[in-house]
Amino acid sequence: MNDRDFMISAGGISLAFLIYWFFGHPYFITERIVMFLAIMVFSGTLLFFIRKARRGEEIFLRTIPGLKAVEEAVGRSTEMGKPVLYVPGIMDMDQVETVAGVIVLGHVSKMTARYETTLNVPVSRAIVMKAAREACKESYLMEGRPDMFHDDMVHYLTDEQFAYAAGVNGIMVREKPAACMYMGKFYAESLILAETGNSIGAIQIAGTASQAQIPFFVTACDYTLIGEEFFAASAYLSGRPELIGGVKGQDMIKVFIIGLILAGVVLRLMNDVGLIDFSIINFLTVK
Amino acid sequence: MNFIIDLILKLGKVDRRWIFLIIGVVVMIPLFYPLGLPIRATATTQQAYDAMDALPKGSKVLVSCEYGPSTKPEIDPMVRAVLRHLFKNGHQIYVTCLWPDGQFLAEEALDEIGGGEFGLTYGEDYVLLGFRPGNEAVVKGIVSDLRKLYTIDSRGTKVTEIPMMDGIHRFEDFDFLFSASAGYPGTIEWVQYAVDPTDVQMSTGTTSIQVNEVMPYVAAGQVQGILAGMPGAAEYEALIGVPGIGTSGMDAQSIAHLVIVLFIVLGNIGYFIERKRSKKY
Amino acid sequence: MLWKRQIPILIVAVIGSLTLFGWFIDEPHIKAFVDDDATQWYDILASFAIFLGGFNLLKLQLQKVLRKQAGWQYSLFAIGGFFFAVVAGFFYKGNPDVAWGTHVTAKGTLFKWMFTYMFAPMQATMFALLAFFVASASYRAFRIRNFEATLLLVAGIIIMIGRVPLGSNISSWFIMYLLVLVAGIAVNLIFKNKQYTLGAVAGGIALVTAAGMSMGWPLDQPGIFYLPYLQEWIYKFPNVAGARSIMIGIGLGIFATSIRYILGIEKSYIGE
Repeated sequence: MNDRDFMISAGGISLAFLIYWFFGHPYFITERIVMFLAIMVFSGTLLFFIRKARRGEEIFLRTIPGLKAVEEAVGRSTEMGKPVLYVPGIMDMDQVETVAGVIVLGHVSKMTARYETTLNVPVSRAIVMKAAREACKESYLMEGRPDMFHDDMVHYLTDEQFAYAAGVNGIMVREKPAACMYMGKFYAESLILAETGNSIGAIQIAGTASQAQIPFFVTACDYTLIGEEFFAASAYLSGRPELIGGVKGQDMIKVFIIGLILAGVVLRLMNDVGLIDFSIINFLTVK
Repeated sequence: MNFIIDLILKLGKVDRRWIFLIIGVVVMIPLFYPLGLPIRATATTQQAYDAMDALPKGSKVLVSCEYGPSTKPEIDPMVRAVLRHLFKNGHQIYVTCLWPDGQFLAEEALDEIGGGEFGLTYGEDYVLLGFRPGNEAVVKGIVSDLRKLYTIDSRGTKVTEIPMMDGIHRFEDFDFLFSASAGYPGTIEWVQYAVDPTDVQMSTGTTSIQVNEVMPYVAAGQVQGILAGMPGAAEYEALIGVPGIGTSGMDAQSIAHLVIVLFIVLGNIGYFIERKRSKKY
Repeated sequence: MLWKRQIPILIVAVIGSLTLFGWFIDEPHIKAFVDDDATQWYDILASFAIFLGGFNLLKLQLQKVLRKQAGWQYSLFAIGGFFFAVVAGFFYKGNPDVAWGTHVTAKGTLFKWMFTYMFAPMQATMFALLAFFVASASYRAFRIRNFEATLLLVAGIIIMIGRVPLGSNISSWFIMYLLVLVAGIAVNLIFKNKQYTLGAVAGGIALVTAAGMSMGWPLDQPGIFYLPYLQEWIYKFPNVAGARSIMIGIGLGIFATSIRYILGIEKSYIGE
């Protein structure tokens, strides 16, 4: 689809929605229109920048030390002849963080295949085991090393949070991996894992969107990908323009949100002092 | 002087097992010999207390237990304190659990406090609806049609045969929600899927770690106060005038925090001495 | 290729769009799908998948024992625990008066015994490890390396002490005297003059003492130096500001990742 077609399609969809809206918008929950419009505008912005990147426009992506260190960590493991331990969080595939963790695992397993390093991925959910296995298998195939892949490099431990933490700690203490990576959704077990990793002298890289666990990882790990850095990891590691374009689109949405926050503060103030009747809080509250 | 400096430097490189031992000892001693430090309620605990205290007698309060044995020391004391407060004020308590292990702990607390201390009747004054799998889908289900989700309670009794379930069909039929939460699914899911779309008010008790995540919702007024970890439980116990496990753990926690701060200070002194020495050479 | 590429992408696109846009549609079937069915389908799938996980665990542990690999003795506990839980859950109630199903929560059953005397203490033990790890991690990592690290350290100490009863028993006047001493150190570092330092410390102490005597030494006044108030302020303002910005960033990340999936732009999950 070229630019013209894209614009025509976007315009067509908007026009169709307007017609539907003015004809009484049956089945549409009117109170949620703000959210609907926000999704449309944000998706449009993302697509716009993805297309821009696909056209070959250069997009600057700042260096993320944690992601740069991934290859270093795999290299270190190779030199030391020790395995790489990868923990994709403790939640299931219905959490986007776990999905992002499995995506990063795909990239990491490409590196371990390239460097011929042992990879150990203990998981805490059976569906994650299947997904992670597929990701690793494909990576080893793509790197031309299907012989190195075996199903048990991704293995299930338990669904229970602390039993899982105990299991992973056991692996760390027995196998002494040279690199430990924690990428996914974590809860209280984060510090237990990261401190044990620290005690065996492994290079540690963490990535999570679990707000409460970020301080623990920052304290105990060498590198930590915080929130959106973690979601940008796939774009960074793959270098694919459409993914990098998505990151740029995300930034533009953020600029828009900052503007909206500032405007919201002003409107709220005006409403509070009685200058206007319009309440931005009511307008933005999704029912 | 040099001896002290060397000692501090040595302490800076001390094996972490020594730190573990010291923490273990300082936590245990106050448990056996309590200091009895007076407890003052912080503003967020007071806000939670006020919100629940202001409920008119006979209100229908939903208490949701989202914690397990691991977080029992932090969350269970607050659940017990809140139950005591609500029972004392003559409210009807409905308990649901988003975590499977929450049901075991909720049952214990309800039997001890509702049935034991207050001599109340199950099914008339309190009911344990129990655990249902599905995480946030359970919250959504309670909001849209509770009876579709809960046809029986935790004892296998049909919901239609439980007297206090009369008039309870969906989340909006409750007057208040207290979420005792140790993670996902928990307080945040209740705010997003139940409290925001309806006008039912809620308060929460969380682990200390989680306070950071929940605080924005408290600041925005979506949650009425928060009991933050074991200190929050102890403060609530002080407010209702019934000291419990929370209060007894406070001395230990106070001393443990103090010792950690001393460790940090000591570590920094060592760090400065080392930095000065390395600059010198 | 069709089964491994196009069809999975199509399923993700259709179900993803339906779940996303279904939230705006007022139609009972779609509403039921979005609110209940979609999540429950996932739960059902995940429940069956547990067999895969369980067998994988069992296979690896058995292999370890049979091959006498390092630490094989521990695997015996894992295998024993596995079968014990299966028996308590599916074959032996331990209390004949209790119906199947409710036996997992009812008193006097083997499952409840396992929960109370094995599962609960072991979980609590693992969680309790956090206290030790927090102590050792903060001892190692909290260093005054630069201005930001200093701020972090001071805020951390205020919260740690201010949150517990010990903090609420420390008078704000004590903190003020402490600050005078810190100011004395700062003066000494800047001017490197003993007289100046002595003057600053003596002046500060006199000022605080005079203020205290005139106000009657109230424990929590002035509030700005009272640790519980300070920690509450840190929690409510700087912390909430930071938490909100991280929350917005995370939300955007989740949104962008989900959209990339739904539109088929991100295909790493099928190995592309």
